[in-house]
Order: sequence, then structure tokens, then C-alpha cells
Amino acid sequence: MNGARLWTIARLELTQRVRTVAWYVLLGIFALLLIGVTLLSFLAFGGWGTGGAGVFSAVVYVTLLLVLLVSPTLSGNSINGDRDAATLAPLQVTLATTGEILLGKFLAACITGLAFAAVAVPFLVIATLAGGVNGWAVVTSLVVLVVEVGIVAAIGVAISGILARPLFSVAVTYLIVAALSVGSVIGFGLVSTAAGSEFTSKNRSAEYNSNGEIVCKDGGHDCYGDTDQMVCGEWDSYTYRVPRPDRVWWLLSSNPFVILADATPTSFDRHGNPDDLFGWIKTAVRGAQSAPELQSTWDECDPQYLDGAEYRSGPTPEEIIATTVPSWFVGLGVQVLLAALLLWWAWTRTRTPARTLPPGTRIA
Amino acid sequence: MESPGILATGVRRSFGNVHAVRDVTLEARPGAVTGLIGPNGSGKTTLLLMLASLLAPDAGSLRIGGIDPITDPAGVRAITGWMPDALGAWSSLTARETLVATGRLYDLDAATSAAGAARLLHEVGLTNLADAPARVFSRGQKQRLGLARALVHDPKVLLLDEPASGLDPQARVELRVLLRRLAAEGRTVLISSHILSELEEVVDEAVFLVDGATVSSDRVAAAASRRRTWRIRLADRDARAAVLPVAGVLGLDAALIPIDRRDLLVSFETDAGAAAALAALVGAGLPVAEFAAATGLLEHTFLDLEGGRS
Repeated sequence: MNGARLWTIARLELTQRVRTVAWYVLLGIFALLLIGVTLLSFLAFGGWGTGGAGVFSAVVYVTLLLVLLVSPTLSGNSINGDRDAATLAPLQVTLATTGEILLGKFLAACITGLAFAAVAVPFLVIATLAGGVNGWAVVTSLVVLVVEVGIVAAIGVAISGILARPLFSVAVTYLIVAALSVGSVIGFGLVSTAAGSEFTSKNRSAEYNSNGEIVCKDGGHDCYGDTDQMVCGEWDSYTYRVPRPDRVWWLLSSNPFVILADATPTSFDRHGNPDDLFGWIKTAVRGAQSAPELQSTWDECDPQYLDGAEYRSGPTPEEIIATTVPSWFVGLGVQVLLAALLLWWAWTRTRTPARTLPPGTRIA
Repeated sequence: MESPGILATGVRRSFGNVHAVRDVTLEARPGAVTGLIGPNGSGKTTLLLMLASLLAPDAGSLRIGGIDPITDPAGVRAITGWMPDALGAWSSLTARETLVATGRLYDLDAATSAAGAARLLHEVGLTNLADAPARVFSRGQKQRLGLARALVHDPKVLLLDEPASGLDPQARVELRVLLRRLAAEGRTVLISSHILSELEEVVDEAVFLVDGATVSSDRVAAAASRRRTWRIRLADRDARAAVLPVAGVLGLDAALIPIDRRDLLVSFETDAGAAAALAALVGAGLPVAEFAAATGLLEHTFLDLEGGRS
């Protein structure tokens, strides 16, 4: 691995990109989009002063979304597109190794993705200045954003080295990104519902007469709360299926948006509620870890029910997050492993002197 | 001892069911320009890809400057310049940037790359287009850029795939001069083409490739020595008027001598026969203005081998 050659290859890619007008149009559209997102987020998160964290998380999420949407087009044809344009072989006959060519293109794709993050910087600064932003949350979420940019870039470059047709490889890169970000959610929903459990609900209420007055054993109507005197009805029981997200919550762990939320430390207000989007998504995902109640009992003749002790409200987001396990590093590990495996496969496909060629390609 | 030029022995390569190269054995000497001649689809490009260390042969051995491109591709790449037949240029980069970047990929430092780029641009006649993006280049200009790119690292061995295609006559002359000079500097130059008149003037040796196999020197010699046609033109009359006197001197039937525009076409078994005929014509006092082989030796050999194939 030679740094000068690596950088020369990355620069070749980048120089060609910065000289296309479409590229600047895309960045401009993105900037406009972020202006809208920032304004709306300030309205949604309570304006200047307290809404900073919420606005910050919204801008980071939109940036991640855009990188996921755009990056496959920019990186998904970098190897096979060059082969089609007959500019790959001239690189391969130089002293640049296959690894340097792949990594150089990966580096260029990363820098391209980071250009979007760079456009988002002014908006992130505005959000931070608005106040209420936790420094660790800024650092962590930006690091995760950069890593995700790298993973998408690596997948795109790798697929373009594995598949022969540029159009097809761009589509496959999109499918992989969609599988991670949308497919994981759909899969989570379907599997947790399909693998659901029986939920039993038991109810018993006191007897009332037709006037809506309680019926007492002593014939009076003034015994409500006295379980010895109340006349209790029959137990009524019915069952239905409930989803079991606790069985498949890990399906969500390699979702880029979930990784971003799960990795970022959350600040809570005094009610135990998160102050940004990351926190709310983290609460939803972590909440999926705990097994749902599989039966409920509602008994008007139970003194504890009448005390209200059994029917306290559920845990706050802060309690949910504190009592469940983080999974972002597993998800990120899976993504890194996937990207590395694909890159290795692309390397074996692009190696020269070539023994086998992908069907339908010529080397030059 | 191995030749420091190019040596290929029993090389074979197929793509699925297509046997692009079936049996190639050739040698190209340093200091000489060797022509690789064959019809379309005869395996020229595949062979050059293998020599350029991009493609592995299924069988056989290759040595470029004594180095095996399979076991040491980097070693071969350091001493080999390859110019592909497909014109791949980074379309938004300028010619100068292309050459500088290529130089950097051959481990030249920035200053050497820049100086080399300027020198090569001058050599291939692209100096006034040096800072124009390659996308505005014509086919011939791209071709010259491709040649310059192959020369960036001062290679000992040059593999040129159809370098003359798309070049205007002036550029072809310049290419010829450049190739002769490169060979004179002791480099090994292997050049493929099917523009045979082009090659005729530049190659020292020729290797014929038919159906993915090199043609043995015996067959080449036999094909080369077969009957050839010569063009004859007299200075003082047109072809119709020249038929009778020429036929008379050469003892031929005037009705059987074909006329091609201003020239008469007469075929001779051997060079000696042609020389004797010329002597006879001049001896008979005919003003011979032109007496030349109608086809070059390479073309003649090529067409003969081709004809023998089908």
C-alpha cells in the first residue's frame, strides 16, 4: 500500500466529480432542503434556546438520509463504470495495486459523501448555538455519521467491483442500503407479529342494577369499595395475539438510523423524556427489548385495584433506556463486516493478471 | 539465456468457449520494432493484454524483459508501457493532468511527473492542447495522449495496440519517426495493426497471427514468395496505349493484362523475374515512370495467409 498512489487515484476520481455541474446542483438542493428542515425543526422543538438538541438531531438525520440516498449513485459504478469507459485498465497497468485502486475509489466516495455533511455544518452550528445541545451527543452522532458515510461508500465501490453492469450495481447498492434502513424495519414488524404470543385478558366487574347503582349483599346500594359486601359478576376472559418485538429487536440493530440513535448519549428533561430525535428513536428501539405483558387482569372486586396500586403508569423513557442494553456496536460491527467482505470479493474480481472475468466484460 | 525483450511460448487463453489465443510463440528483440499482424478477432488484443500483465494465460509462458508477468506483475508494469486499442481517457482531466497522474501512479515524484508530462506532450504534438479537457479531443488526439501515457515511465518495452488508427497522415509520419527512435534507443517495441502499409515502413520484423495462433516462419516465407502483382506506368502514354508495347516486350497476351486507372498490373513469380522484366522494358526504350509492387510484402503475406485460411 503506497500513500502517494492511493491519493492519486482518489484525486483522479474527485477531480472528475468536482468538474461536473450536476454535482454542485445536488449540493445546492441539499442546502435548500436543510434550510427548510432547520426552520421547521425550530418550530417543532420549541424555538431558540431549548430546541437546539432537537434541531441538531433532525439535521444530522436528514444528512444521513441524503447520504444514503445519493451515495449509491456516486459510488455504485466506480469500478465497472471505469471499465466501461476503458479507464480502468490504464490504472491497472501502472504500479497501483488492486487494493490501492479499490481503496482510492473508496476514499473518494467517502470524501464525496462527507461533502454533504460539510454542507450541513452551518446548520449544525446554528443548532448548537441555539443551546441545550450535549457536547458528547454532538461528537458521537457526527462520528457515527462519518462511519455510516464510509460504510455506504465501501458497499457501493465493492458492488461496482463485483457486478459487471453499472446500472445493475447501482441498483444492488440501493437494495442493500434499503434493506438495512427500510427492510430491517419491515422485517422487524413482520417477524415480531408473525412470532407473536397469546395475550389473555381477564375481567370481572361488580354487579350494577338497571339504574346503574351498585348491588350489595345486604340489599343496599352503598357498598362500593367494600369488597366483602359487593356482589361480583362472572370472570370474563378472552385472548388475542400480540407481537413479540423482544424476540427480534436485534433485527433493527444494523439499521443506520437506529445505530445513530442508539450510539448517541441521550439527555433527559425532568420528566425523564429525551430532548432530541435520537433519544425518542432510541426509546422506541430499546423498548422493543422488554417482553410484553401476556395477561392482564381487571377486577373491580379486587381491593388492590381499588387502591390503584396495580395500575401505575409505565416506565419513563429514561427508565427504559437505563434498563435495556445498547446494540449499536453490534449493528455497526455487522455493517463493517459486510462492507469488508464485499470489498474483499470485489478485490478478487478486479485482481490482475485476471484469470476469470465477470461474464460479459472485457478487461479493456 | 532469456531474451530481455518479449518472449512468449505456447501461450493459450480462452474466454468460455471462445479460444481467443490458441497457440502463440513469438519473440520481440530489443532495439527493433516488431509488428503483430492479423485480421480482426485473431487474438492480437488478448495477446497484448497478457503481455501487459492484465490477463493471465491459461497455458504457456511469458517473459517481458526476463520477468514473468504472472509471478511478478509489478516488475513487468515498471518496465512496460501499454497503449490500449480502446480510447479510455478521463474526460474531464486535461492532457497534462492525465500524464502527471499517470506518472504519480508509476511512483515518479511530482516534479519529475510534471517535467515528463511537458516533454511528452511536446513529443506527441499536444502542447497546444495540454490544458484542454480530454473530452474535447478528437480520436487522433486521444490516440496521441494514449501513446504519451504509455511512455510516461520511460518503459523498456512498449506494447502498442493499433496506435496509428485515427491519426492523420502527418501524425502517422511523426509516429513512425517516434517509433524508430524508441527502437533505436534500445527499447523493445511490439505494435499491432491491420493497416499494413503503415507497418511496412516501420517494422523490422513481423509476427503473423491467424485464428489465435502465430504462423510459422516457413509458412510466412512461403506466403511471401508467392506470385505478386506489380504496377507499371509509362511516362508518355496512358495505360491503354501502354498495353501493347509492354505486352510485346514481356511476351504476354495484351488482352490478359488488367488495367487499373493509369497503371498496368503484371504479376511475376519472383523478385528476380520482376527485375528482369524491368530491365527488358528499359532496354526496349520504353519510358518506365513507375514499376512497383502493387501490394507491400506484409500485405501480400497477410492476404495470402488469410486466403489460405478460408
